[in-house]
Amino acid sequence: MTAEPRFLIVDDFSTMRRIVRNLLKEIGFGNAEEAEDGVVALSMLKAGKFDFIVSDINMPNMNGFELLKIVRSDDALKLIPFLMVTAEAKKEDIVQAAQCGASGYIVKPFTKATLEEKVQKIMTKQG
Amino acid sequence: MAQTEATAHESDENIYRRIGQLTRTLHDALRELGYERELMDARDNLPGARDRLAYIARVTGEAAEKVLNAVDRARTVQQELTEQADSLRNRWQAVAAYAAGGRACTPAGKQLVDETCEFFSGVGGQADRTNTILTDIMMAQDFHDLTGQVIRRVVALATSLEEQLVKLLIETSRPEQRPQLDPYQLEGPVVAPNARDDVVADQKGVDDLLASLGF
Repeated sequence: MTAEPRFLIVDDFSTMRRIVRNLLKEIGFGNAEEAEDGVVALSMLKAGKFDFIVSDINMPNMNGFELLKIVRSDDALKLIPFLMVTAEAKKEDIVQAAQCGASGYIVKPFTKATLEEKVQKIMTKQG
Repeated sequence: MAQTEATAHESDENIYRRIGQLTRTLHDALRELGYERELMDARDNLPGARDRLAYIARVTGEAAEKVLNAVDRARTVQQELTEQADSLRNRWQAVAAYAAGGRACTPAGKQLVDETCEFFSGVGGQADRTNTILTDIMMAQDFHDLTGQVIRRVVALATSLEEQLVKLLIETSRPEQRPQLDPYQLEGPVVAPNARDDVVADQKGVDDLLASLGF
């Protein structure tokens, strides 16, 4: 992982993208870009190097599960940590995310402390 | 085997015929009872309801953006204030060191220097507290995402309801095709988690569930 990890924030709500971006900056990760859905995110992931994905699930065009599956099946992308940040609170969805290879799962509404804890935990595990 | 399929097909045909008859009966009953007009009114009002919900989503979104813009501006001001206070504190500390040598400073002057240094030292902590409050204000804007998702689902429901009403009003013949099962749909924010056991109520629920599965 580079000295300044580059984050990709994927959410169809611009308000939430902005909140996550600001929170990441507050916890020391100021290098972040945004995508409004999985299709845009995938295009950005293929165009440039990212070190961490923070993604919503429920989005138009391509949802977070679909994005996660594609990322995990792509040799060039499969090792990128993938943190789900979503309002989906069904146990079925949480289990599905874990089985598909999500690195972590945060349910909205969440706190800065929760985001910081999950990001740090994933980064530590990643090495 | 072929006979079984033929029997099943015939059974399906019967079901469709009965559904068609029920629809026709319901349609006639509603018309005779005078509800047809009300159904049409309800159908006509649904696009208006959708527009009003879309308006709420747009206006609340704009309000959230305005708050986030204000938070960003306040943070910039706060940062400038902290930097200026740090700079002035350093300069006043130099003056304090000079005064401590008993040179060119009255006791009142020395006290003023000390209190000013103390004030500037406190600015950083106050700025941190203000930043925490600004973070809370920023986090509260997640209502736009959460309510927006609920509104989007209600709009989809209204659209579906409108379609059903239109069908109820204009269709009397049996369906031509077997109805397709809806694909699995994501649900969005849970508005009453305590009333259900298939959802988690908070982040602890997520962590406990994943831990129980070994993740």
